[in-house]
Amino acid sequence: MGSRGWLEEVRRRALEGLSIAPPYGPDVDVLHYVELNKRVAPGRPDLSRASEVGIDLERAGRSAYYLQVDQRVLQYLSRVPGVEVTTVEEFIERDPDLAAEYLWKLLDPSKDRFTAAAALYGFGGFVVRVKKGVRVEEPIQTCLFMSSPGLQAPHNIIILEEGAEVTVYTGCTIMPEPAGLHVGVSEFYVGRGARLRYVMVHSWNRVTHVRPRTAVKVCEGGEYVSYYISFGKVRSIQTFPTVYLGKGARAYLASILLGLEDSEIDVGSYVTLSEDSSAQVVSRVLARDRSKVWTRATISGSSGRGHIDCRGMLIHETAQIYAVPELRALGREAQLTHEAAIGKLSEDEIAYLMSKGFSREEAEGILIRGFINVDLDWLPSRIRGYVEGILNLVASRA
Amino acid sequence: MEVLRAENLSIEVYSRVIVREVDLTVSKGEVLYIVGPNGSGKTTLLRGLTGYPGYREVSGRVVFCGEDITGTTADYRVSKGLVLAHQIPPKLSGLRTRDLLNYIAKRSGRVGDVEEVARLLDIGHLMDREFGRGFSGGELKRVELATLLLLNPSLALVDEPDSGVDVDSVMLISEGIRRLYELSPYKAVVVVSHTAFVARYVGPTRVCVMNSGRVQMCGGPELLGEVMRYGFKRLA
Repeated sequence: MGSRGWLEEVRRRALEGLSIAPPYGPDVDVLHYVELNKRVAPGRPDLSRASEVGIDLERAGRSAYYLQVDQRVLQYLSRVPGVEVTTVEEFIERDPDLAAEYLWKLLDPSKDRFTAAAALYGFGGFVVRVKKGVRVEEPIQTCLFMSSPGLQAPHNIIILEEGAEVTVYTGCTIMPEPAGLHVGVSEFYVGRGARLRYVMVHSWNRVTHVRPRTAVKVCEGGEYVSYYISFGKVRSIQTFPTVYLGKGARAYLASILLGLEDSEIDVGSYVTLSEDSSAQVVSRVLARDRSKVWTRATISGSSGRGHIDCRGMLIHETAQIYAVPELRALGREAQLTHEAAIGKLSEDEIAYLMSKGFSREEAEGILIRGFINVDLDWLPSRIRGYVEGILNLVASRA
Repeated sequence: MEVLRAENLSIEVYSRVIVREVDLTVSKGEVLYIVGPNGSGKTTLLRGLTGYPGYREVSGRVVFCGEDITGTTADYRVSKGLVLAHQIPPKLSGLRTRDLLNYIAKRSGRVGDVEEVARLLDIGHLMDREFGRGFSGGELKRVELATLLLLNPSLALVDEPDSGVDVDSVMLISEGIRRLYELSPYKAVVVVSHTAFVARYVGPTRVCVMNSGRVQMCGGPELLGEVMRYGFKRLA
């Protein structure tokens, strides 16, 4: 295929996908949001809101970052030797043949109407490339901000060459009023022995739909660590990232989700194991008000080790949580386990903390904060502090 | 000086009266041991005295340092310095031992003492584990005592610190109880025990025997010896 021919093929497949509803999550008229992009003038973004999702633009400016508002790329740069940050459009423009090796290779544009819409109508998205053996301490921050109603559909690519190591911290948020549809398409490539830590923090508004589409390929001996935290109001979220682990690769995927008001949140992870690989999929769900939260996890393989740990806490009587762990052992060498528990705050635990001097309200806050603790040891200490701060915020809003 | 007084105190747990018409005082300088057979109401008495949720005074009153605290909440009583060490603390889902101790220490202004308390009670290896999850009996008792040491209690009521633990743990726990006694501005502590193992290390100044929800008799330290020699039935 010619240097741009693959893009035509992507387009053709995406057109097929527009009519396909995804199996999970409420369906949405994506073309309505595409129309809004044409009709509504861009809003004025209040970028100070980015700090709510942990983005520190001043600090980011000293290392590497990417900032997109709606379907406009605002700024991006890298001051870190061995780290390239660019936009997906520039990546294609500069080297279409190389882009063809990475874009739409892990994800199929015809998979469903959201993925298809991103392929057809999306704009922007970051490309982060970390050269062989380069280890970056400071996180690369990326911010996807929405200020206007309509579709925001960036296509993000992360490429870690052999032995590279980096943390990418992505914060996604929106102004309080606009009705948005955010479809972030992400394809990550973790080279042999490389380590990618990806932290994504979402805080949306009560009328926005969110449909991230993510796939990750981890080569032999590589490591992929992901923390997904959603704590704001949202109309709906549906995502089911897929991670393919090569020989001896490891993955740790944690989701911390807060359901508020009438939100419908459906978050899963699918991991495919191979020889000597291992994966842990962990979720902590807090459901308030009338929210409904599904937490799915599938680990599949003929060998390797996998563990799923889903826990949910119903804060209010009217909320609902569904835990759907699935293990697929396709051979005798696979060692797969899962645990799932859903309940409410324990009166015994509250009483115990009250006997240590805390009021009932304080005791509940401490227990909720404890409940959403996940293993942060996969992160460097400076990033652990960021994430702990966000988890404190989640607990305070629950 | 009288630190704690229960007058004609009856305590109900979920609509059932367990402790009946107890009169008891704890005075300055006193190491009071309360002993009694299983089900005699020792734990209920301590929980009732400290206002534990679900434990209600149905008659009588509790006076602590001259203040009538009857009917007040557990957290209020802790704020006054009256604190309970539980026999077996519950598991706290997801909450690490270090986090709990830090929350407590922050409140009592003793954040700097957390590590020292952990060393004293040999619980350093438990600090980053979920509180109570998979802990041995001795470890549970020791983390529980750590919470008390960080609370700066004026009077600690320690429930069964020596049941189901090995001798090394008993020694560490006894050291913790001694610290609680020293921390108390009244130099007083109350220990409930079946076995009186800790009495070898922290000797009582007074002993009370409970039976069927009542305080049956009180006496000097020699009463503990008689209990250990003859058992509760023969003593009765």
